[in-house]
Amino acid sequence: MTGTAAPIIDIRDLTVTFIGGRKPVHAVNGVTLAIQPAEVLALLGESGSGKSVTLRSLLGLHPPGRTSIGGSIQVAGKDVMALSGRALADFRGKTVSMIFQEPLLALDPVYTVGAQIAETIQRHEAVSRVKARARALALLQKVRIPSPERRLDAFPHEMSGGMRQRAMIALALACNPQILLADEPTTALDATVQIQILLLLRELQRELGLTVILVTHDIGVAVEVADRVAVMYAGRIVETGPVREIIRNPRHPYTQGLLASRAHGAMTGSRLDAIPGSPPDLADLPPGCSFAPRCKHAKATCVETAPEIRSVTADHWMRCMLDAEAAE
Amino acid sequence: MTELADMQQSVARDPRDRGGPRQPLLSVRGLVKHFPVGKNLFGRSRNVVRAVDDVDFELLKGETLGIVGESGCGKSTTARLLMNLIEPDAGEIIFDGEVVGHDISLRDYRRQVQMVFQDSYASLNPRLTIEDSIAFAPRVHGVSRREAVGRAHDLLARVGLEPHRFAGRYPHELSGGQRQRVNIARALALEPRLVILDEAVSALDKSVEAQVLNLLLDLKDAFGLTYIFISHDLNVVRFISDRVMVMYLGKVAEIGDAESVFAQPQHPYSAALLASMPAMDPDARTEQAPLYGDPPNPIDPPPGCRFHTRCRFADPVCSQTVPSLTPAGETQQVACLMRQYGSGHSCIGLEGRA
Amino acid sequence: MAVGALDNKNVIAPIQVSDGYWKGVLRRLMRDPVTMGALIVILLLVLMAIFAPYLAPADPFKSSMLRRLRPIGTPGFPLGADELGRDMLSRLIFGARLSLFMGVTPVLMAFVIGSGLGIFAGYVGGALNTAIMRTIDVFYAFPSVLLAVALSGALGAGIFNALVSLTIVFIPPITRVAESVTTQVRNRDYVEAARASGASGLTIVRVHVLGNVLSPIFVYATSLVSVSMILASGLSFLGLGVRPPEPEWGLMLNTLRTAIYVNPLVAALPGVMIFITSISFNMFSDGLRSAMDVRA
Repeated sequence: MTGTAAPIIDIRDLTVTFIGGRKPVHAVNGVTLAIQPAEVLALLGESGSGKSVTLRSLLGLHPPGRTSIGGSIQVAGKDVMALSGRALADFRGKTVSMIFQEPLLALDPVYTVGAQIAETIQRHEAVSRVKARARALALLQKVRIPSPERRLDAFPHEMSGGMRQRAMIALALACNPQILLADEPTTALDATVQIQILLLLRELQRELGLTVILVTHDIGVAVEVADRVAVMYAGRIVETGPVREIIRNPRHPYTQGLLASRAHGAMTGSRLDAIPGSPPDLADLPPGCSFAPRCKHAKATCVETAPEIRSVTADHWMRCMLDAEAAE
Repeated sequence: MTELADMQQSVARDPRDRGGPRQPLLSVRGLVKHFPVGKNLFGRSRNVVRAVDDVDFELLKGETLGIVGESGCGKSTTARLLMNLIEPDAGEIIFDGEVVGHDISLRDYRRQVQMVFQDSYASLNPRLTIEDSIAFAPRVHGVSRREAVGRAHDLLARVGLEPHRFAGRYPHELSGGQRQRVNIARALALEPRLVILDEAVSALDKSVEAQVLNLLLDLKDAFGLTYIFISHDLNVVRFISDRVMVMYLGKVAEIGDAESVFAQPQHPYSAALLASMPAMDPDARTEQAPLYGDPPNPIDPPPGCRFHTRCRFADPVCSQTVPSLTPAGETQQVACLMRQYGSGHSCIGLEGRA
Repeated sequence: MAVGALDNKNVIAPIQVSDGYWKGVLRRLMRDPVTMGALIVILLLVLMAIFAPYLAPADPFKSSMLRRLRPIGTPGFPLGADELGRDMLSRLIFGARLSLFMGVTPVLMAFVIGSGLGIFAGYVGGALNTAIMRTIDVFYAFPSVLLAVALSGALGAGIFNALVSLTIVFIPPITRVAESVTTQVRNRDYVEAARASGASGLTIVRVHVLGNVLSPIFVYATSLVSVSMILASGLSFLGLGVRPPEPEWGLMLNTLRTAIYVNPLVAALPGVMIFITSISFNMFSDGLRSAMDVRA
């Protein structure tokens, strides 16, 4: 958290609560995160951990009527929560853009891919149609779509899953954003296609110096692209650190459990070291550490008070009361 | 393998067993299923999806056979064909030496083969209590209500759900992991010998997935079950399977002992699929994608070897000759012309480098 | 954990039964003030229809040439009098009987026939489905008003014929909805699982299909009640349904139309009743739909 330069994304004590249902749902409960320019951060967590909700807050995508948001978000020097109207529209796409899990839902089915990219460019910049189309073609080449001239006039449904995801990345990069948010970008893809998209993201990040936040539930995906990993549980970041540290020296019992329970490398026929129980109800969170009910190291204090952030090494932080050594 | 032999012995002690431990529980011969797409005005279709095209394999008693492959490879269609939820166009299924629909009736076969689906919510009737959902199949087969409910409670306890807390609940009141446990209990209600798990843990969170995988291992031991485990997650398949079958565009590419297939894949596609798994080592990240592009559409698959359009070893002969499954290595069988002597492929003799 | 708790482990605990489906629906309905309001209005209308002879201050058939078109608030005629000098309030109260009957009965009959047809077509699928659904589509191609008028015209005027023609009008849309929800349910994994356990088609329909398709069809049907009332009123208005001097809101609207310039407020009253009833049914149907959604 002690950045050398000014962070490009600075989230302080973010809380997101969905109201309007029977009970308020506390999706994000105090997320503090600073991301340096050109850094790739993976937000790792299971369903309901608040990882996607955090990502969407960065674009101000939550409907104000049904959500109450607390804390502050500064992105590239702008206060996201204060943005509205034209400023917000400019911010989305030009400063920050996003790619989604299911490109078929994110792309408009009635326009060709080329038309959608050109339209996005023209919405943000005063360029001619011909020029916008030329830039769309260049973008399709950049995301390595074969025979891009032909694909420019293809409709989303005429493309395969991997090509559509490439097209969506091209669309997201249309206005040269500084920051790319990726919400489970490869979850819906086949294994041989997933690795291609991950490699593409990695190359584009290096080439364009993008800052990337990647939301995923798959540790393997995080390892392939991320510099730093933030592990989320029940709306909080429970551990954050460089990817090597998180994989080789996990300190939080949840991260440890997640790594230990993976079938990867486990002996056939042996039992997996599974985390017992299931994630807490976000409408009814326990007062103390939300992982305490499933934690094998939990003590009485864990149930009573929520743990504060503490550092393991300079850039490795976690939210657990237990002594770092005792947690192993 | 000794463990598997033990398992085979215990499975063969089942009073329903016919052929002894050595006879495969299931032999699939020449299974074919083509789906018509895009009907014209007269209801005649112009194209067919060759979902499953001439698939042969054997399933040993007490083993877990993993089936892996990408979308359109026909793994789920194979499962539905084995369950007889859809009619095959050709081929036969032999269950413990008896041809299904011939020597053994469909009804008797279905009692012994059950399935767990991917979507835990869609596979439970939202209007039935958990107990009624599990008791449904025994009731259909003439078990009294009292006894069926009793069996449902036993099974709930076996899958780790306290009967007095869960029996009267409805599916929407349970978490995904709990619902999938209910689905497993339901599949076991008829005391099947074979359980087909079609992406049964894919929709679960990782921490819950591990719990359900452990449960599956325990139940297999306790009830002497044989599993077919279908998944796109190679880590999970490697963990749970004794043998693995790799499918590509409706055909079997490779089948063999799980450890050998994962350690030394013989088919170029299996090798590429394994290499596509994200590395778990931040210092040894994947540098080059093993394959480019998406799997082709199973409508109008390429002639010859179906993988030749993406294979880096492809020869002209690959687009003409359909490879057949030939033994390779100690336990594997592979459908690749490079392993078929006399096929005319220029790489014959260089095998093992795929 | 206390020692006593451990000892109790072997005692068979009573099974916790969660709220049944309908209990949950009821609970959600009770929490929805708009739907409850609509339901109360509907119940009041029904009560009004049942107890009409006790509620009505005057005889709805007794006419008087001297008291024609009295305005609202005339002593003895709280809501005025119609073009034949009959008490409007009494006629409106009695009118609820026929109007509600004409609104509900055709929908109920069409619900029974249409769901049966639709569920059968949806579950069987294939060529039979195509045959049934294409036949239904032929009826569907006509605008409902036109179809109702044409059928009534062909059958001749009268309440019974109006009921028959309205029923025929509502069978196609209900069949369509029934067929589409059944097709959806039929492809659910739990139906596949039931098939895999060797259950017969009839058992599957009884246990797994009916419970899941009847309520959405029913919800759709309740939304048709208002349409049916308006169509029935329309038929009466054209002289094809209820015949004078029977009090029925649509017919009253028709006979009062000549008075629209003389006493517009009185002339509009039957229309107000039709409006209140149909909007109540629509709101109730909307509320029922969301209350029946388990995951809400």
